[in-house]
Amino acid sequence: MPKPHRVLLDRMTGYAEEAGAFMRRRRLTRQPFARLYYPSGRSADHAADSEAGAELFAAAGRLIELAGKRSPR
Amino acid sequence: MPESGATTVPSHDAAEQALAYLAEMSPDVRGGAILAADGGVLAASGEADRWGEAVSSLLKAADGAGPEPVEQVHVATEQGEVFALRHAGLTALAVTERFVLASLMAFDIRAVLRDLAAGVAVDSSSPEGAG
Repeated sequence: MPKPHRVLLDRMTGYAEEAGAFMRRRRLTRQPFARLYYPSGRSADHAADSEAGAELFAAAGRLIELAGKRSPR
Repeated sequence: MPESGATTVPSHDAAEQALAYLAEMSPDVRGGAILAADGGVLAASGEADRWGEAVSSLLKAADGAGPEPVEQVHVATEQGEVFALRHAGLTALAVTERFVLASLMAFDIRAVLRDLAAGVAVDSSSPEGAG
């Protein structure tokens, strides 16, 4: 029979593995997107291959380039 | 660009403080800018002119994509994410790391803009000082 603290550690390890798997799935499955929100509460997604989407991605790309990498804290 | 609810233009110092406060609140922020209603850059984390042009082109693309001016823009790419938000005639934009929590980011930007528009001073040097 495992010692009580081992049970606790195993359970925590299980939770951490679940969370890690969730984050991996999220990173793998999440695609780039452009989403606009309006004052009325409406929102609209624009695909990268649409005209509006291409402009949004291009503009966002310039901003990301301008911001550069995060400076080490 | 929607001008409704526009207040007096905050000072450059106040905008700089607000931007610094945003960066401090949200460690995922790489850079950003705050623009006045006329498109003038009040604060930016780099060259103001370049930020002004880049933000304007994003907002132009966003406004042109729909029938009405946008209130908030969120573009997520492989290299990072861009958030832009308008409030009381001011526009704040933040470039962040990937996979940042969008709702929290929008909340932080909105809070900073609301304080800036209301003329509430933010002290980025001592955020824990209030506690």
